[in-house]
Amino acid sequence: MLGGVFHAAVLFLVAAGLQLVFGVQRILNLACGSFYALGAYFGVSAVTWALGAGLPAPLFVVVLLGAGLALAAIGPPLERLLRTIYDRDESFQLLLTFALVLMFEDVIRFFWGTAPYQLGQAYLIYGQWRIGGSVVPVYNLVVIAAGGLIALGMGWFLARSRFGRIVRATAENREMSEALGVDMTRVYARVFTLGVALGTVGGALVIPATAATNEMGIELIVEAFAVVVIGGLGSMRGAFAGALIVGLMKASAIAIYPEVEMLAVYVVVISVLVLRPSGLFARATA
Amino acid sequence: MRTTRRGFLALSGAASVAAALRLDAAPALAQAGPVKIGVLAAKAGVLAPVGESGMRGVQWATDRINATGGILGRKIELVIEEESSPKDTVERFRKLALQDKVDVISGAISTGVGLALGPVAEEMQTIWLAWDATTQKGVEESMPKPKYSFRSTDNECEAVMASILTARSWKGKFRTVAGINPDYSYGRDNWAAFLAIMKKSGIEVQVVSELWPKLGATDFTAHVAALQQAKPDLIFSCFWAGDTPIFMKQAHAAGLTQSTKLVMTTGGGVHESLKKAFTPEGALLGYNCMYFEHPKASPLMKEFVRWHQEKFKEWPNYESDHGYFTVVAYKAAVERAAKAAGGKWPSIDQVIQALEGVEVESLSGSRRYREDHIMEATFFQGFTTHKNKHDFVTIDPLESMGTKQIQKPSGVGLYDWINSWKV
Repeated sequence: MLGGVFHAAVLFLVAAGLQLVFGVQRILNLACGSFYALGAYFGVSAVTWALGAGLPAPLFVVVLLGAGLALAAIGPPLERLLRTIYDRDESFQLLLTFALVLMFEDVIRFFWGTAPYQLGQAYLIYGQWRIGGSVVPVYNLVVIAAGGLIALGMGWFLARSRFGRIVRATAENREMSEALGVDMTRVYARVFTLGVALGTVGGALVIPATAATNEMGIELIVEAFAVVVIGGLGSMRGAFAGALIVGLMKASAIAIYPEVEMLAVYVVVISVLVLRPSGLFARATA
Repeated sequence: MRTTRRGFLALSGAASVAAALRLDAAPALAQAGPVKIGVLAAKAGVLAPVGESGMRGVQWATDRINATGGILGRKIELVIEEESSPKDTVERFRKLALQDKVDVISGAISTGVGLALGPVAEEMQTIWLAWDATTQKGVEESMPKPKYSFRSTDNECEAVMASILTARSWKGKFRTVAGINPDYSYGRDNWAAFLAIMKKSGIEVQVVSELWPKLGATDFTAHVAALQQAKPDLIFSCFWAGDTPIFMKQAHAAGLTQSTKLVMTTGGGVHESLKKAFTPEGALLGYNCMYFEHPKASPLMKEFVRWHQEKFKEWPNYESDHGYFTVVAYKAAVERAAKAAGGKWPSIDQVIQALEGVEVESLSGSRRYREDHIMEATFFQGFTTHKNKHDFVTIDPLESMGTKQIQKPSGVGLYDWINSWKV
């Protein structure tokens, strides 16, 4: 089960980025998977560099987080690019963000090549724990904890902070908040950057446990969409619940009857679409 | 240096003889201009590293041939296109044949693509020399008598070899087995071949888990947990791409690799990513048809490995050998056919005839095409060791088996063939 939760934690970060950007900007960002992949590659490079520069090994998580956050700097220029399509048909959004997916794939190939990229030793630095007969790497728990903390942080941020209130107001009614003096350009740039950061931090955090491959983003984006459909488009709590459901469904399918691993997830997706088309935690749509 | 008069005369004499010879030779070879070789190399997704590796073999062969006068005096020119989905790759194959008018097409790794390219090569009447792609449906050949397509070794060769080695080394030392293989024909067929050979070898195994992650998956924590529950004595896997190190790392972190025997039929394809930190010693690891650190490597292989390491800072893997072989085999066939045709540039039918049974020195040793257009090569596997100068595992001792031993003969079904073995 912990395997499922681990997967869910990563999935949540990517799906949350997708949700946030859609909720506020009404942009369905296919490239959120690419941010995840970029974060992973950037994380490997940053940690390798930092360890080479004499950083004590157990601190590598800090470097990973830092790398993920630093990479979010690509957010504002990308948001500037997306600004050209805010008022156009959804198909333009899909085309543009899909173009970004392809471009980032080439960027990765250009800088890091095509072979899998990884951190050799880092995964087991924190050791392993024996939980109920199976061995679990402590790092998996670190990732789960980080996912949970970020979820809590996001919840607090959206519900309590001043900027969170502005974000929610914008999501509810863009014209009204603009009329009340909210600078939409800045809010959009910040929200988008935050969305990018969720993806890049997710990618950077997961990398010690896996290897960075060029297609890792594409793989996750499909699942992130399943999460979004289950949880309800644009809802943070939905992303959290959806990620948990998908992660746990997959893990239990693999444990019980592996042939239905993908089927199980999509059975849930279809049931949600039929029984509660707007998702489990959908907001009342305006 | 001072040029003496006598020396100068001798030199110019030799030069004019050479020039005269060239003049004589040129019309005899009819075609002028370069020989065009179309290349289909994967550049995106899971296949990208493999496609790049094959491309390096082709490039190296081409550079060497061009540096020594080309094929019968004609330089090779490469026209590179991408291998992607079967449909798009077929379009590019047509483009290479019709628009670029290439003499031969080399490339393609995926059997899904190969199945689509085979009939197109026949239709376009263009010679196609596959790298790793076959025209197999499952374990059966779908084009038993092709004319223009020449394809790779059977997909299940590495599983056959690994199974023979497993039976030889571990018979009586395991009973429960689990398989974790990518969820497509390659994964399913290799697992089935493994089980069939265990049975034939008189090893009674109990399958405790069969896992089929998607090709290109990057998270196996749930699979590893399922394997922990199943507690197999032996795990069989034919992962060959980026999924290999990820699975290995996550299995190691969960303590799965210490007590379990591991059979990785094709993981040597990404050998540099199998770091010592998480890859155990004593696992059976297959390198397909080239092992970069062969203790008795030929001078050719040593030269290639050195060039590869200097240029790319990487140790080459087997796909380079497939790529290299196709170019060198084509050159040998053209030369052989030209000889038979009295020195004229041969027709396509003559080249095809010469390709059948052609045998050349490739990077990994001697390789050839069978008369039914299927590649023959030597496969390399062995048990992993940490005793080397790298940060990744290598194998020692090295076991090698030829396709005569591990590939089903022409026109025989895989399982009939396995059942006909005398064990």
